[in-house]
Amino acid sequence: MRSIPERMARGSPGGGPAARANAMSEVLLKGLKKVYDGGVTAVHDVNLAIKDKEFIVLVGPSGCGKSTTLRMVAGLEEISEGELYIDGRLCNNVEPKDRDIAMVFQSYALYPHMTVYDNMAFALKLKKVPKAEIDKKVKEVAAILDITQYLNRKPKALSGGQRQRVAIGRAMVRDPKVFLMDEPLSNLDAKLRNQMRAEIIKLRQRINTTFMYVTHDQTEAMTLGDRIVIMKDGFVNQIGTPVEVFDKPVNLFVAGFIGMPVMNFFDNCKLLYENDTYYVQIRNAKIKLDDFQQKALKQNNQPACDIVCGIRPQHISVGEGDLVATIEVNEMLGSEVNLHARSDADEVVMVIPTVDLTVDVSQGATVNFTTQPKLIQMFDKATGNNLVWYDADSANANAPVCKSYDF
Amino acid sequence: MANNKGASTAVAVPKNGKTVAGGKWRRLRQNCPWLLMLLPAVLVVFLFNYLPIYGVLIAFQDFMPGDQIIGPYTHWVGFDNFIRFFTDVQFWPLMKNTFLLCILGFIIGFPLPIIIALSLNALKGKRTAKVIQTIFTAPHFISLVVMVGMLTLFFGRYGLVNNIIAGIGGDRVSYFLEEGAFRPMYILSSNWQDFGWSAIIYIAALSNVDPGLHEAAILDGASRFQRVIHVDLPAIMPMVSVMLIMSIGGLMGVGYEKALLMQTDGNLGVSELIATYVYKQGLTGVPDQAYATAIGLFNSVINVVLLIIANTTSKKFSENSLF
Repeated sequence: MRSIPERMARGSPGGGPAARANAMSEVLLKGLKKVYDGGVTAVHDVNLAIKDKEFIVLVGPSGCGKSTTLRMVAGLEEISEGELYIDGRLCNNVEPKDRDIAMVFQSYALYPHMTVYDNMAFALKLKKVPKAEIDKKVKEVAAILDITQYLNRKPKALSGGQRQRVAIGRAMVRDPKVFLMDEPLSNLDAKLRNQMRAEIIKLRQRINTTFMYVTHDQTEAMTLGDRIVIMKDGFVNQIGTPVEVFDKPVNLFVAGFIGMPVMNFFDNCKLLYENDTYYVQIRNAKIKLDDFQQKALKQNNQPACDIVCGIRPQHISVGEGDLVATIEVNEMLGSEVNLHARSDADEVVMVIPTVDLTVDVSQGATVNFTTQPKLIQMFDKATGNNLVWYDADSANANAPVCKSYDF
Repeated sequence: MANNKGASTAVAVPKNGKTVAGGKWRRLRQNCPWLLMLLPAVLVVFLFNYLPIYGVLIAFQDFMPGDQIIGPYTHWVGFDNFIRFFTDVQFWPLMKNTFLLCILGFIIGFPLPIIIALSLNALKGKRTAKVIQTIFTAPHFISLVVMVGMLTLFFGRYGLVNNIIAGIGGDRVSYFLEEGAFRPMYILSSNWQDFGWSAIIYIAALSNVDPGLHEAAILDGASRFQRVIHVDLPAIMPMVSVMLIMSIGGLMGVGYEKALLMQTDGNLGVSELIATYVYKQGLTGVPDQAYATAIGLFNSVINVVLLIIANTTSKKFSENSLF
């Protein structure tokens, strides 16, 4: 492994972009499993190939195993089963410091007795990098993160956002192959979180290395990730680009987890197959499916069955269609209005652009609503799997992705 | 007149940035439950720590047992008792013995619990650490008399150590009669008895260290020892500062019991301390309580001066101080 000074000697300041451009930093998780002493399995058989310079986001509810997976990659948790490769090297038994990774923690984990400068320089000092080079590297990174004026301060004299920058800076000075970030924005207030999210996007463009980012916030996941890994109960539910996981959720959990407001689910629906054509029956509305869905369902030899239909709030239009709902709450947000309505037993949320409003949507009003057939997601009632997008082969390999079709 | 009356009435409205009397009463009423909970502690401290200070007055009197402290026949002598002590032939030996015993005990005894706490905290096996901690803490509960009894069993003329020496052909040594043996026996046994107990406070402080700091240090490439130095030690430094100030403040406040129990004619030259001398002057033979009180008061003044010096120094060079 090249040392920091070696990398720094390669030309660009601190061995930065130029050195990284040559360095491959792929991460491969093969059947990674974490079983704790009490026999509790936190992570089941995670398979994930992270490409060089890819920004991958692990997202899921609390306790889904995303942080444990990250910590196994970092070397802070022992790997119970499976193999971890970083840059083609088996790293199961490699010390964390020798994995050429850096991590940003949720709590920032800045050494409180050290100044910002010392915090950032600490790892390099331990590696016995010459003082002049440490100084150059720290100041360079501080300039990138706009924290130069805080270098002599201690962490307690900084705001949350400034601390977060220092934590990122501490990771950056190490010039790692892989950046690991464990919910780095969750201690910040909403406004600062949005700012820092944008900063991380800019940072990523600037330092261009491989990122593994853990969050429970789907907005962060959608905006930051090249690909998103959605986890639940220690299992990976879907791996895909933000567009894929939004438009092509492989199961009910992914469909419900991604998207804000959450997808509307209609129970007791039916998939009908009549005269070589598929329809969905939602209440009294019988909707003929789109051509693409017809082909996909036919390719899957999908028989008629009971299903759960999912429609995103943004995909609903009011004032037309056979479905009926009564408005219970009307939230005017300016450019759009969120309508919370009841349709028989189901609660329905609709997000309607204000300019498209042509009917009365005041509290207690009854409105007709519908959606485009191609935007209806159909889930098997028994398994919860998406009838169109669930891919059994990848799911059996514990690396579930949405199914791809040739047509 | 009406305006004057209005001004003197207690109204709970801030006026010119200050809260008027009504606000204070309201705050007092609001804090009533907490003040009531504090009351027993305040009473105990007042009764046993502040009220007896009244007795210090006898240091400035020609006081005999049975005399009133303040009464028509009180005979004030000013600083005579203090001057008598300063000119006493025992003054310098007492000062030297007390100071040496305390400073040596402090040099060995102060860092030991810190080292033990850091070591126990760094142990991987938490179960093992707890067992060791329990073993280290247990001697604290041995009474002083039993402790000195144990020392006699080990180091007495016919104790274990002498039996071993005799067994290998050496001459028995009466350690309790040797001046050179008193301080090592006193200091080492005291530290053996108390280092585990004293370590508890540091172990508690270490338990509050953010595990993320250790993980960050691991990723930064710090070894276990470097983590102790760069993460654990700085984390307990505020506690170390407070304990240091308190230890320096009580440096000369060594008790008389153990020294008295270990005292023999042979080691009297080093085992006679201010505390044992106060005991002997004030409670044995023909008691001279005024003189004993003056010596005790002088000792306390030294402790207060040391406390202030330590606190001021700590405040100047670090961010930690008692007051």
